[in-house]
Amino acid sequence: MKGVVLSGGTGSRLRPITHTGPKQLVPVANKPVLEYAIEDLKEAGITEIGVILGNKGRDEIQELFGDGSEYGVDITYIVQGNPLGLAHAAGCAKDFVGDDDFVMYLGDNILKSGVTELVKSFETGNYGAGIALQEVDDPQAFGIADVDNEGNVTELIEKPDEPPTNLALIGMYVFSPAVFDAIDELEPSWRGELEITDAIQDLLEDGYEIDSHIVTGWWKDTGKPQDILEANRLVLEDTELNTAGVVEDGAQTDGCIELADSSVIEDGAVVRGPVSIAENTTIKSGAYVGPYTSIGANSTLEDIHIENSVVIGDSEITTNGRIVDSLLGRNANVGSADELLPEGRRLVVGENSQLKL
Amino acid sequence: MRIITHTCPACGTVVAANQLEDSRVMKCPGLGCQEVVRFEDLPEDAREHFLENRDRYQI
Repeated sequence: MKGVVLSGGTGSRLRPITHTGPKQLVPVANKPVLEYAIEDLKEAGITEIGVILGNKGRDEIQELFGDGSEYGVDITYIVQGNPLGLAHAAGCAKDFVGDDDFVMYLGDNILKSGVTELVKSFETGNYGAGIALQEVDDPQAFGIADVDNEGNVTELIEKPDEPPTNLALIGMYVFSPAVFDAIDELEPSWRGELEITDAIQDLLEDGYEIDSHIVTGWWKDTGKPQDILEANRLVLEDTELNTAGVVEDGAQTDGCIELADSSVIEDGAVVRGPVSIAENTTIKSGAYVGPYTSIGANSTLEDIHIENSVVIGDSEITTNGRIVDSLLGRNANVGSADELLPEGRRLVVGENSQLKL
Repeated sequence: MRIITHTCPACGTVVAANQLEDSRVMKCPGLGCQEVVRFEDLPEDAREHFLENRDRYQI
């Protein structure tokens, strides 16, 4: 079994954060989203991994993961270039996959339960593919699978008006090499992409059985800023957090706090977990870091009250205001305008930024 | 749709034909690899197929 992780796309819904990097490297609980995919595959016993690269962030992704040896896996990079659809991405991995089965994992997705059970379920039979499904409240908004009593998929329907089930495809798949023949036969859809659901439908019509695996834990597509905050909350709630850094006397801490060993919570600061604080970061006197917040490396916080937010890193935040439900990009600095005249906020804001003042 | 790729002989990075055809001649996108990869590295039948169906490999 091999793994294919999709890391293309423009990340347009995450601008301006993605103006300077790929969406798959946006951190959740101080770890790039893509790293969760690599770890999930490794946990499932999959160590040969193809990472599909688009036109954006190729070098950054390769710099981070290298040949995979630091993560205990062997990574081959596959340059798809133009985003011609999930089936095109899978097709680009044909030579890498060879005659093996493979897991296809969307690199901007995180799921609580990993892919081990999906793989196990697939391996119990002679399936053409296996798909991960999750029950949703609004099936009209998703690609929906109909399944028989044995859990075999009988039909896939994209955003049905009258959904036969509430089982949505969540973007995790296992394929046999038969999928490559199905992809060879595909025609681009109305939106000009090769659709993976069409390939699965073709496998069904060619007589292959398609396994389904219902994912019960949370699953998150991290395509938008709100999704990053939500994923950050879910991961922080579920992760065992280790306080290795220095908590000075006089600092108030409560709940689970991940504090890197080179970081400090100073006297007079208040931190209420779950919180993750990465390397070389200082929480100074007067700062309050509230639940569901991740502070990236090389940052300094002073006087600020911040909660349910993600600070990616290399930031200095020294105003005495309150920041909630926010995503701050790398090197974003927030200072105080208290002493400045004329009174008012000073902003240098990038394209596609969203502020609520 | 036939999906055509080329594997860099130096580092093993796989490059889709649409990417090769965009650049014709390019430094391998594998980080640190100095190999030059070309659209002409593809087999002749693959190149012909790609060029005859070029529109389908664009957005």
